Amino acid sequence: MKIPILRLGKILLSSIQVDLTDADAMQFQNDLVNKIAEMEALGIVIDITSLEVVDSFMARVINDTAGMARLLGAEVVICGVQPYVAMTLVEMGRDLIGVDCTFNLDQGLEIIKERIGMRGDATMIEGEG
Amino acid sequence: MTTNSLAPIVTLLQQRAAISSEWMNEVLRVWMRMYPGLVNEDELRRQADALLKELAKLFSEHSGETPPDIGANSALGEIARELSADRAKKGFKPADTAQYVIALKNVLTQHLVSTLNETPASLTLCLRAVDGVLDRLSLLTFEAFVETRERVIAQQSLSLVELSTPVILLWNNVLLLPLIGVIDTVRARQLTERLLESITKYEASVTLIDVTGVPVFDTSVAWHIMKTIDAAQLLGSRIVMTGISPEGAQTLTKLGISFANVISRATLRAGLAEALQLVGRRIESTGGVHK
Amino acid sequence: MTTQPTNASERMPILDASDIVRARGVARQVAGRIGFGLADQTRLATAVSELARNVVQYGDDGFCEIADLSDANEMRLGILVEDHGAGIDNIDKAMKDGYSTGGGLGAGLPGTRRLMDEFAIESEPGLTRVSIALVRKRS
Repeated sequence: MKIPILRLGKILLSSIQVDLTDADAMQFQNDLVNKIAEMEALGIVIDITSLEVVDSFMARVINDTAGMARLLGAEVVICGVQPYVAMTLVEMGRDLIGVDCTFNLDQGLEIIKERIGMRGDATMIEGEG
Repeated sequence: MTTNSLAPIVTLLQQRAAISSEWMNEVLRVWMRMYPGLVNEDELRRQADALLKELAKLFSEHSGETPPDIGANSALGEIARELSADRAKKGFKPADTAQYVIALKNVLTQHLVSTLNETPASLTLCLRAVDGVLDRLSLLTFEAFVETRERVIAQQSLSLVELSTPVILLWNNVLLLPLIGVIDTVRARQLTERLLESITKYEASVTLIDVTGVPVFDTSVAWHIMKTIDAAQLLGSRIVMTGISPEGAQTLTKLGISFANVISRATLRAGLAEALQLVGRRIESTGGVHK
Repeated sequence: MTTQPTNASERMPILDASDIVRARGVARQVAGRIGFGLADQTRLATAVSELARNVVQYGDDGFCEIADLSDANEMRLGILVEDHGAGIDNIDKAMKDGYSTGGGLGAGLPGTRRLMDEFAIESEPGLTRVSIALVRKRS
């Protein structure tokens, strides 16, 4: 099970559409991180609208992925956390997910673009390209 | 069954129509006056008939010296429970519900006394049996009555909880959650669920939480509110808290709770202005009469 | 033990990671059939996911049993997860936030306890049993 990662300019977009096994999740993390480095992505939007269960393992994968992306110089936004998933996560323990979240892909992209716009390197790249 | 010492009761109960009619007349005399409109006479007579039938069965299948026993799960117990549960739902008083069985006991006692006045030994035996069975029936109906009432009360308090946690759409993409009263675990869970559903439904990018109506801030209340805020932020909504009292602010700080990711404003008015700015709106004067 | 196996139960082996996905799917389904709301379905599915993962990571040859224990007054879903692995050395420690021997967040067991109404755990070498239940009054 390979999760597609789409490219939108300097932004990477990925939507998790199925219930993932642990191996799938680790594979996704690996793929994404490699792709970020390969294309020097400035922003990552991960849509998890279809995830009906996010347990502590999946929460860690999401957090770690975001952390790795930041280290590689990319902004990260998670979108589409289901209300019951959010509820379950905070009941299990606070801070299980420490990434910025938005409702949907639309807003996610908007926020990412706004952030990228404020970065020094974004104008540099645009100016040269 | 031939040597059944309780045979007179069985014989009596076989005149079902007569007993039922006498019994129902007595019950209906009171009920029609107290609960007009709630009493369905046909249904009541049908229920009485079913109950008498089961009662006759009980006595005819029994052939000992001790009174027969009614289990809560027996057919008779079931009928009795159903009847009084129904009455509890309709708001009958406990005494009037109990009167149902007492009236039957009176009717049966009178008949037994008049038919068996020649044989006192048999009369005593039969009366004791009727007493035993109907007392047990009384207890069962009363138990069912109380149980149903308790369930009704629990339901009412549940709907009260729901009523007291409205989530209000204040403006496009702006929600208001006015917290009022005591916040315990059950209520916190419910209001969080409702808030999260609303945030998703209206894509509320800002949620105002007004705590003016929260009497005391202790660790557990603060903890609940904090979890609600965390969950709302996971969906992508920003939180503006309003109405924290000076005492509340002191308590929270002493508890080490800073609500770090939250904008806090003294009043709901200030919070609304803040929320509108976050969604790029502003309230302006239109130069009307009330400046 | 809070959970007694009953007739209305479903038992699944937990052997590898794909069983985690299956077990939480079944938990959600059963909860929905009993009448639990979406929030509770998610709590149950997440709890099963945590427990099943523990079996895959630490245990050996385990199973998950999901039982409908509802009656007229309440909905009750009981879940028993059992494995025959090395067992948990120190249960008190394992129930603390942030404690993990397997590189996880250490939120699995304590998180599960917070999600559920009932939680019991017992462990010895060769047998670990965790039983949980979610209970809601019928309205």
